[in-house]
Amino acid sequence: MTTPDPNLLEKAWSFLKRSPFVDVIKFLLVIAALTWLMARGTERLGYNWQWYRVPHFIFSFENGDFVAGPLLHGLMVTLRITAVSLVLSFALGLATSLFRLSNAFVARGLARGYLECIRNTPLLVQLFFIYFVLAPVLDISRFASAVLALSLFEGAYASEIFRAGIVSIHRGQWEAAHSLGLTTFHNYRYIILPQAIRRILPPLTNQAISLVKDSALVSTIAIYDLTMQGRAIIAETYLTFELWFTIAAIYLLVTVSLSLVVNTMENRLRVAT
Amino acid sequence: MQEKSLGDHIIIVNKITKTFPNGVRALQDFSSKIRRSEVVVVIGPSGSGKSTFLRCLNGLEEIDSGSIVIDGIPLDDNKTNRMAIRKEVGMVFQSFNLFPHMTASENVTLAQRLVRKKSKQEAMETSMDLLGKVGIVEKADSYPSQLSGGQQQRVAIARALALMPKVMLFDEVTSALDPEMINEVLDVMKTLAREGMTMVVVTHEMGFAREVSDRVIFMEEGRIVEEGSVQYFFTNPREERTKRFLSQIL
Repeated sequence: MTTPDPNLLEKAWSFLKRSPFVDVIKFLLVIAALTWLMARGTERLGYNWQWYRVPHFIFSFENGDFVAGPLLHGLMVTLRITAVSLVLSFALGLATSLFRLSNAFVARGLARGYLECIRNTPLLVQLFFIYFVLAPVLDISRFASAVLALSLFEGAYASEIFRAGIVSIHRGQWEAAHSLGLTTFHNYRYIILPQAIRRILPPLTNQAISLVKDSALVSTIAIYDLTMQGRAIIAETYLTFELWFTIAAIYLLVTVSLSLVVNTMENRLRVAT
Repeated sequence: MQEKSLGDHIIIVNKITKTFPNGVRALQDFSSKIRRSEVVVVIGPSGSGKSTFLRCLNGLEEIDSGSIVIDGIPLDDNKTNRMAIRKEVGMVFQSFNLFPHMTASENVTLAQRLVRKKSKQEAMETSMDLLGKVGIVEKADSYPSQLSGGQQQRVAIARALALMPKVMLFDEVTSALDPEMINEVLDVMKTLAREGMTMVVVTHEMGFAREVSDRVIFMEEGRIVEEGSVQYFFTNPREERTKRFLSQIL
């Protein structure tokens, strides 16, 4: 047997290292391992898989008409809560970051207090506090309580992201705007924020994805979101694993689409400069 | 060189002091008066307070004591006064500080629209005139990242001119440029000087000083060591310190 050319081996190896095939193979190996593990696990449990019963809970066709199942209804509630909270939390986050960067002592203190209160207590406790203590006093609905809790929570984190983005803009930009006689508002609106938003889009996306997942907690105050619907069905049917996996997949679908949308946005913004 | 006539005092700086939070005294009892249409070149070693002086003139730095009056408006705590001064005083920076997310013409147009409240068309016309004046009208739609350093600095000059300021401040505007680009920027500044713009220029370009400046100020440790015409500086500066400094930069 002749010894292979070492150069050729090296070339082949560097080609392999760069080719997407290696990634795909790695991915498949991980999936196979996970599947094997789960199969073994459930086999030991003696779990009786009944996947065929699941689609009915998502949607069905009755007399040729599309009928949304409880999971789809739940998803709609989840999306509605998430969407409203997302807008509110970003607005709150932006306002808080501007407060923290302002020269006014009271504004800075207020922002700091809010941030520390929210960051250092569990979301579940905040949700219960708002729903059981504040909601009866303020006379707000269950949905509003959920949105309020999520917005306050995610807003605190978003504010730190906004602040980091604003602070990262070079001092010279502020000075140029200042020397041109721009007001603070115009400076933020036309100079600082348009530049900051490009930098903070990735961390803000993380925040949005967290929000989608954290919204599952509203099931604890009996809002029939995706998670709550799932729990209700499980209680009736004992399809524990099938439903939790399905629910996880639906959440995944939402978050991955969100990432894709933001990716397109990022590319657009990059082209614009 | 044609003789231009200097007007009354447009900038009156009286005994200003500036100490930075870290304890560095940038300006100590600094006084100076600058006339309309006068071109003043400020030189001195780094850390002598020349840039700080310039930055105090448009309120980028707060002074601790003393007073600054520009075109009859005192630079004090009154916000209206401050805003008025910022509009009357244009500034060009060493690092250009163009807005990277806007094209050259948008950079020049922005403040006209927001501060001078000009119509879109009117502002655009002024921008094109100014970009023509600094010789880069063909780059109007380019973003700063697509321009050379010299071109960026010329856009920055056009941007500062867009507010029709009465005074222009130049803070080491050629220090960040490659040698072959320095002249294209200096030429624009010379044109401005000959047109009668009041200019305060921090620079070490003594050729520029020789050609267009009316007065040179040599600073060290926050004080004026010596001031006078360029001829005076080139022929027989009185202070030993000035001689040493000039021999280093010439």
